[in-house]
Amino acid sequence: MSEWAADERGGPGDVRAGDARAGDAGAGVAAGAGGAAAGAGAAAGAGALEGAPVPGGTGGRLPLPVKAADTTPDRPWPVRHLAPKIADYVQRMPPVWIEGQVLDLKRWNSMCFLTLRDTDVDMSISVTTSAGNVARLGKGVGDGAHLVVHARPTYHLKRGSLSFAADDVRLVGLGELLERIEHLRRVLGSEGLFDESRKRPLPFLPAVVGLVCAQQGDAEHDVVSNARARWPAVRFEIRRVTVQGPRAVPEVSAAIAELDANPRVEVIVVARGGGSFEDLLPFSNETLVRAAAACRTPLVSAIGHHLDAPLLDLVADLRASTPTDAAKRIVPDVAEERARIAQARLRSRGALVQRLQREQTALDHWRSRPVLAQPSTLVDAHESRVHALRDSARRTLGHLLDRASTEVRGLAGHVRALSPAATLDRGYAVVQRADGLVVRDPAEVKAGDALRVRVARGELAAQVVDR
Amino acid sequence: MDDATAGPNADVQALSYEQARDELVAVVGRLESGAESLEESLALWERGEALAARCQQWLDGARDRLAAARGETARDEAGDDA
Repeated sequence: MSEWAADERGGPGDVRAGDARAGDAGAGVAAGAGGAAAGAGAAAGAGALEGAPVPGGTGGRLPLPVKAADTTPDRPWPVRHLAPKIADYVQRMPPVWIEGQVLDLKRWNSMCFLTLRDTDVDMSISVTTSAGNVARLGKGVGDGAHLVVHARPTYHLKRGSLSFAADDVRLVGLGELLERIEHLRRVLGSEGLFDESRKRPLPFLPAVVGLVCAQQGDAEHDVVSNARARWPAVRFEIRRVTVQGPRAVPEVSAAIAELDANPRVEVIVVARGGGSFEDLLPFSNETLVRAAAACRTPLVSAIGHHLDAPLLDLVADLRASTPTDAAKRIVPDVAEERARIAQARLRSRGALVQRLQREQTALDHWRSRPVLAQPSTLVDAHESRVHALRDSARRTLGHLLDRASTEVRGLAGHVRALSPAATLDRGYAVVQRADGLVVRDPAEVKAGDALRVRVARGELAAQVVDR
Repeated sequence: MDDATAGPNADVQALSYEQARDELVAVVGRLESGAESLEESLALWERGEALAARCQQWLDGARDRLAAARGETARDEAGDDA
């Protein structure tokens, strides 16, 4: 029991894990303690549960109940009896690695006090550690930094508060965060939260646009002004929340759920301007991404610049690269729609006119072909062929005739040569008997025969008088 | 030109524009080849004319419908701008 004597232990900075000494290791109370002096509580004794006598006596009253369950309103335990018991009970908890985000980090002399808040839920614990531990992490440690600490719970008897004495503080590096997000992406992906089939189409003209954005900042202005420019009648339901640091996740999730519940809101835009990787971390947080997935109203994610791709983008029904881009996606540009319709009408008419002209020229071309334009060419062709034939026919006929005529002339010459006419001309005469026999011998005739005498220029009848 | 609708080319009226045009091209080809007999050429020529007339009818009809449509749109546009 003796080592329980409270003593001012050596330099507070070197608290070691597994320090068996019970009691108030390290001093001071976290969270806004300001300059509260550390001071070990004067608690001593009472480590055991049995009702060991407590220094300072019981003021002459009955002995204290042994177990807490035995206490009654008239036989209570004084605080000084209870506190050490709790401290001892807490003392038996092993040191533990805890993860969380820094909130309200304060330095006091060689000690650092901070609140470690859960990344998803609104719970936090107070942590004390040596300033050296924090300094070692470099300047990266600030509000919202992601930490992993190895700490042992300690109970402060004086103030009855529980805090964690951390002996090892590590910054959750960017790489690790990325790894975590990648892991989460795979998990959510395998659950099918990113499936195309879940994506709902955006309404063409939303009655009311739900907008989740930062208290101040240009995201809200970008979305609203651009949407109004495109469609002046657009109406907004705006929820301004913190979009960074530990409070972002619960607030954004709540805003989404609230807008989703509102039937008039037909599309929800979650918009946030650019920011560092840590700033955008909440939008890759499981709780928030699941809330977005559960949202039935079509959801547009417009987080950071076009290069940022938090998990919210994957689960959203539409990913807009920037808040301005989101505005362009959720409402049509009425003037642009009208212009587009007019242009479509013009182009279709133009195409038709052009087609008609093309067909007309083709038709004209065919009709102008000689075979159609001047059908006579057909007949001419035949005609010329016929003429050619006729001509050749004539020619050949001519030749034939010539030949024939020369032939005839030849024959006529012969005939004439053979014919007695020439001799007749020379005065001879051809005497023929009645039977036509040409008399060559007087014996052939007898007196009184009728004779036909053909002379050059005619013939005459004669009779044989005497041979 | 004689009335192409009666006589052997009455079927031309039933032809679609593309059919009429394609056959017209074929007729011209055959006529230009000159291998046809005189009677055949004349008959072909008549059919060519009938086909050409049919094509022209189609084109004119299309142009009329377009003009009619444009007429309406002209009114609509007038309506829009009012």
